[in-house]
Amino acid sequence: MAGAIIENLSGRKLGILIMFLLLCQVVCFLVGALIAPAPSSVLSVLGTKCVDKQYSREKWYYPRGKGRCLHRISDPQDPEVAKQGISANHIIFTFQIPSPKDNQVLDYSRWQQNLIAMMHLDILYKEEEAEFDPNALMTIEARLGYRNKGDPDDRWTEYATSTEERILDCSISPEHRKAEYMYNCSSVPLFELGSLHHDFYLLNIRLPIHTPKEPRDHPTNVYLGALTDMWVAFIHQNGGFTKVWVSLKTVFFPTIVGIMVWFWRRISHLARPPLLLEYMLMVLGAALTLLNCPLEYLTLAFDCPWMTVVSDIRQGLFYASLLSFWLIFTGEHLMDDIERNNVRAYWRHLSAVLGGCLCLFIFDMCERGVQLSNPFYSIWVTEIGTNLALAFIILAGVCAGLYFCFLSYMIWKVFINISKKRQSLPAMSSTRRLHYEGVIYRFKVLMLATLLCAAMTIIGFILGQVSEGQWSWDENIKLEYTSAFFTGVYGMWNVYTFALICLYAPSHKRWPKDQDTQSSTGEEIEFSRLATEPSEMSSITGYVTKAATD
Amino acid sequence: MSNKTERAVPITARPPEVEFRGAQDSPDTSPHVVPLPVASPYQNTSPARPQRTRPRRGRKPRKKRKRAKSGGEGIVGPYPIVPQGTREAAFVHAISSAGVAHAITRRCSSGELDDCGCDRSVRGVTHQGFQWSGCSDNIAYGVSLSKRFVDARDRKLVTRKKKAGHRVSSRALMNLHNNEAGRKLIEDNMRVECKCHGVSGSCELKTCWKAMPTFREIGEILKVKFDEATQVQVKEVSGRPELEPNQQYFRKPTEVDLVYVTSSPEYCEYDINRGSLGTQGRRCNKTSRGMDGCDLLCCSRGYTSAMERVKERCSCKFHWCCYVKCRTCIRDVKVHTCK
Repeated sequence: MAGAIIENLSGRKLGILIMFLLLCQVVCFLVGALIAPAPSSVLSVLGTKCVDKQYSREKWYYPRGKGRCLHRISDPQDPEVAKQGISANHIIFTFQIPSPKDNQVLDYSRWQQNLIAMMHLDILYKEEEAEFDPNALMTIEARLGYRNKGDPDDRWTEYATSTEERILDCSISPEHRKAEYMYNCSSVPLFELGSLHHDFYLLNIRLPIHTPKEPRDHPTNVYLGALTDMWVAFIHQNGGFTKVWVSLKTVFFPTIVGIMVWFWRRISHLARPPLLLEYMLMVLGAALTLLNCPLEYLTLAFDCPWMTVVSDIRQGLFYASLLSFWLIFTGEHLMDDIERNNVRAYWRHLSAVLGGCLCLFIFDMCERGVQLSNPFYSIWVTEIGTNLALAFIILAGVCAGLYFCFLSYMIWKVFINISKKRQSLPAMSSTRRLHYEGVIYRFKVLMLATLLCAAMTIIGFILGQVSEGQWSWDENIKLEYTSAFFTGVYGMWNVYTFALICLYAPSHKRWPKDQDTQSSTGEEIEFSRLATEPSEMSSITGYVTKAATD
Repeated sequence: MSNKTERAVPITARPPEVEFRGAQDSPDTSPHVVPLPVASPYQNTSPARPQRTRPRRGRKPRKKRKRAKSGGEGIVGPYPIVPQGTREAAFVHAISSAGVAHAITRRCSSGELDDCGCDRSVRGVTHQGFQWSGCSDNIAYGVSLSKRFVDARDRKLVTRKKKAGHRVSSRALMNLHNNEAGRKLIEDNMRVECKCHGVSGSCELKTCWKAMPTFREIGEILKVKFDEATQVQVKEVSGRPELEPNQQYFRKPTEVDLVYVTSSPEYCEYDINRGSLGTQGRRCNKTSRGMDGCDLLCCSRGYTSAMERVKERCSCKFHWCCYVKCRTCIRDVKVHTCK
């Protein structure tokens, strides 16, 4: 990859380009901070307890609208409830979302993308012995239905139904062991929908005490104690955030495609076949293009529950190609005079990246892949599932560790070689010296840019974890930090890839004979170094002589 | 309503009718549990000394106002039983405003109230707002409604006085402070729960929400705040009236501390005009050295002791959901009653 544009660009032009890219970066950050709302928000809904002694699995129970359930109870521990002969099998917790606000019936928009439900139980501490096990296994009969605008109030259509098991995780501190205090139970995941295609959703949950299929000696749900209320937090992506996000993608997508086309045309004009690094740059660009492709527009028209899986895969592919690129870039700049220029030379290093990505992919398919068929499924609720998931995550972690060992070792070797070459530089012929100077310069620039981007990402992430999500400038200007982090990081890696493809493209300088014909496309590039610059031919001869002398 | 006696509020009349469905029930979850154990016989005996017993559930002052107006007095609040400006009034104000916020938040969360706001500002462009950035936690609406509604009278009083250039009533300021303290306590005691849902479920993206404590917990905390309440007076600090402790060396009360401006009357003798029902006939604890101890509670008048046979449910087992299995125990207890 001799003679990249970055070596030949004048300082002024480079400065202008960097300023422009930094400006893009700042714009991305500000778009997230000032325009976009927080990435997601929550509707916390208290379940309405409908009672039906002739409960049937085909019937829908809902708290609002025509045909709503009329027999409700507010407190299951009320002696009246027991007197009426109501049992756990007759109680249906109903959640009709979204809840009305300001006397308006709200509905979900398709821009809101996804829906995650977390269940929380209010279990009271009783001074008397309650049949309660803090880590009881719950059996949940859940049914999710939907309705659209214009449908009659009672036309609920089934979306998913399942009988699930979840493990309670409750505790109570000694000073709270008083009547009517609540156990501190952690929320349990209930379901995840990859698309929010319909306007209204209805969730019916029953905690039956025994199902007819099961014999009585295997008791279900008897250790739930003084359960009084069920809350479900429904998390959805914010429509505003999706709009901003998709707009960014719509801008980035053609830009990156454009720079890739420009890059490939430049490569194909060369006499030599493309180098490995140039292929890698194309792969990186392709992965980013895949990530940038605004597929989200499809969700506005079609029901796409696979969207979360696809976006996970897209993101994974981008990270995999970025990691592979760093590895190969470092390897190609080792300057240890071994001809690599071949993916096979890196199979050991790349297998760490591949292994890690494969582990995460399998984990993702086990969790979100299965959720495509059963949204109530979660790998974390069973012990085997948890162990399996942890095993995959740990394996991925090991791969990541291996990768960083490989990468650090190679970078360290590059620096050793650089300092060695530095000493012998003055003694070299001018062609070789320029060749090595170019290599060192290219490597150092990429190192600097990469470290900067990685540090920014990590600092941004940590800031996001410790801050409250919203920063106030003054009364009127509020910065939405979480969104700014997402748009900022997204924009940063786009800018990074753009800069790489643009600056590491082969320079015209290497085919002086073609300069007249190429000048029309390359007129914006200024060639500061002139005749002494090695042409492609001279760099090869330089390489041969260097190999001979070594 | 709770089945426990509500002593902090007028006992003379029932509230006429309930305007808010949200306020009808006790905001707490289980009012009808098994009878209280004998260990606390000082609770439901006499309407005096509300502060020394279980915290009461929140009440909607709106009902009180209606009642008071129909009585022609035009007074808001729990008078005449609890004298204005005292420690007890401070507690009542705090728990009332907290109760409104709690009850409204619950009703909003269950979707029973249609007019809950989408954001804290109570008004707003709801439909587009929800689709653009979602709605805020319901507690925000509960608190802002409680602020608008419970504070209305005292706030009006304060602004009117300020406009006229008079000295601002210390009692009104105190009520406003205590109302705010009750609401702030709920907000401060919200449990925060989070869910990670980034790429492959990582914590790259984390969403948190708030869950409300039971009202009982708020009551207990307010009871502690009641015991630690500070006596204050109004002082002008750079043109603004502020509440400062009477004693110089006391620290300034924080947002969640209760304050009062007049000392409580002696509750020993019956004096309905001063808000005391006396302690005659109250059950006391012989062994206790605290306020429920016979020496203090009976104001050195002495007490009578008698044996009583108590029939109660014991060793109860609760089953989800509605099934309680108890044994009946009969115990003989010694009961002490103030003379």
